[in-house]
Amino acid sequence: MSFKRMATIMGGTFGLVAAAPLFVGDIRFIMHILIMCLIWAVVASCWDLIMGFAGIFSFGQVAFFAIGAYSSAIFSVNLGVPAVLAMLLAGLFTALIGVLVGLPCLKLAGPYVALVTFGVHMTLMPLLRGKIGMALGSGGSVGILTIPPIRIFGYSFSSANLVPTFYFALLLAMACTAVILVVIKSHWGTAFLALKDSEDFAMSLGVSAFKYKLMVFALTSFLTGVIGAFYGHYIGMISTRMLELDLFCTLMVMVVVGGIGMFPGTILGAFITVIANELLAPLGTYRAMVMGALVVILVLLLPNGVMGFWLKPAEAEAPAA
Amino acid sequence: MHFMHISEDTILLLYEIVDVIISGLTNGSVYALMAVGLTLIYGVTKAFNFAYGSFFNLGGYCAWILIGIVGLAGGYFSIFLAVVPVLFVVGYLLEKVLVAPLRKYEDWENKVMMMTLGLALFMDNLYVVVFGGRVKSLPPILEGTLEIGQLVFTYLDITIFFLSIGGILLFGWLLNNTRIGMAVKAVAQNPEGARIVGIPKERIFAATFAISTVMVGFGGILLSQKYFISPMSGGAIMVKSWVITAFGGMGSIRGGLYAAFIIGMMEAFVGWGFGMSYGMIALFILLLTTLVVRPQGLMGKS
Repeated sequence: MSFKRMATIMGGTFGLVAAAPLFVGDIRFIMHILIMCLIWAVVASCWDLIMGFAGIFSFGQVAFFAIGAYSSAIFSVNLGVPAVLAMLLAGLFTALIGVLVGLPCLKLAGPYVALVTFGVHMTLMPLLRGKIGMALGSGGSVGILTIPPIRIFGYSFSSANLVPTFYFALLLAMACTAVILVVIKSHWGTAFLALKDSEDFAMSLGVSAFKYKLMVFALTSFLTGVIGAFYGHYIGMISTRMLELDLFCTLMVMVVVGGIGMFPGTILGAFITVIANELLAPLGTYRAMVMGALVVILVLLLPNGVMGFWLKPAEAEAPAA
Repeated sequence: MHFMHISEDTILLLYEIVDVIISGLTNGSVYALMAVGLTLIYGVTKAFNFAYGSFFNLGGYCAWILIGIVGLAGGYFSIFLAVVPVLFVVGYLLEKVLVAPLRKYEDWENKVMMMTLGLALFMDNLYVVVFGGRVKSLPPILEGTLEIGQLVFTYLDITIFFLSIGGILLFGWLLNNTRIGMAVKAVAQNPEGARIVGIPKERIFAATFAISTVMVGFGGILLSQKYFISPMSGGAIMVKSWVITAFGGMGSIRGGLYAAFIIGMMEAFVGWGFGMSYGMIALFILLLTTLVVRPQGLMGKS
């Protein structure tokens, strides 16, 4: 897909969303859902960048999100760091963890990478709930309940004034997705494509798989960490509940609905999924089950996600003969 | 007198350690069964099954229904006889309906991972909806204890150990001595070559998936007697099986066996010394160390 077409779809989506407060600005519930859509759009796009474009089966996206949220909350609650600075620090810290996780992954075959990154996810919950997490200030199984909102020049962006917070989230989401778009269309994106097609051949031409893969780990975990930190400051409380499998699968639905490797489809996917998830709320205990079934069905029936409807036949992923 | 006092404490500690070792051996034997099933399915079909742990609980719940609701006569012998075919058919159909259609895509491995993770979420929450969030327990296959001097072994532990090892030996025999076993091996070595000599590749894939489902489900019936069946434990079981497989060396059944016992022991000792919640952390550290130091695992070919 061309840069122009990607940018048009992104601009159109964000433009439409930006106009939303004119109509529903005073309905708190809808504004909250829109903010969540923007947050998840970034996380899902990061996942698409690392999985769909760079071809790394990273299953640690929710873990990075949680690491960002927790580290920013700990920085601002325990150390008194201003929220904006804490978000940035959280992003850098998450990027560091991302690189540490990425290093052993670079030499591994796909499923091992999935295992290691999923292992990070599985390890995080006992770590945060246990003594080590308590010592760091994770609040154990209760979580952190008093995260200060983001304040810029004495103006606070919290759930008390949703419309400004919404625009803050919109700007953040636009900045993050713009970075992803630029990366995909720069020589990084070309390098990923070359590495995915034939790693040996690309490397013989001087494309360093090591460098590019490590950079994509750092970048996606940085962006995910920042947006996770924003989530923490916006909601005001976080717990290990976010590490349960249903959130992970919701994120996966976004990527599948948007289409893997079909950026900016994931942005649309995030909006569709978050809203559908809210509509499914009356299902109560059945919701997670339905979410799981949806993943199975969508992977089988919608190989290119919603972007499949826009693609020219030549661009669509043809089943290998 | 003083000397006697210390040695009494030491003896108590020794008994405790023997208990931990027994627990490690029993768990290790079931882990071996699960790891061999996983090595088989990955080695033959190259499909990464995230729902593997949910099949563990499927075995447990099937047995629970047969004992608690149906009231099947004949004890565990008839339960094994009834549940094993069910697991086989479920595994076979799931492969045919859900995994096989994905093979035509270029990035099918990725799609299979996502699909099976969705399947795991579906199955785990289905268990919650049908059986409730509370854990269920199964009666032990054999009651009573065996006492040798001061050492106490439960018959349950002994039976679990021998049934698991028996299961692995039976599987190994089937793999080497039956037509279907040899076909499975052929497909694992060279899928195209196997297809050329007339082995129905698709059917072997489905059969492999089914056999691994049986192995992990059987493990579920065994280990659920010692612990509980809890609906959401599938993820931890899956990660454990994968770590064992990676540690032992992908595709190596012997490596998987050793790894299962080492990890069973490690888990038992970490749980005894630091508390159960540290088991997962220790497991993860072991996985990272393995992958950095010896990526091919204990016995895998590099």
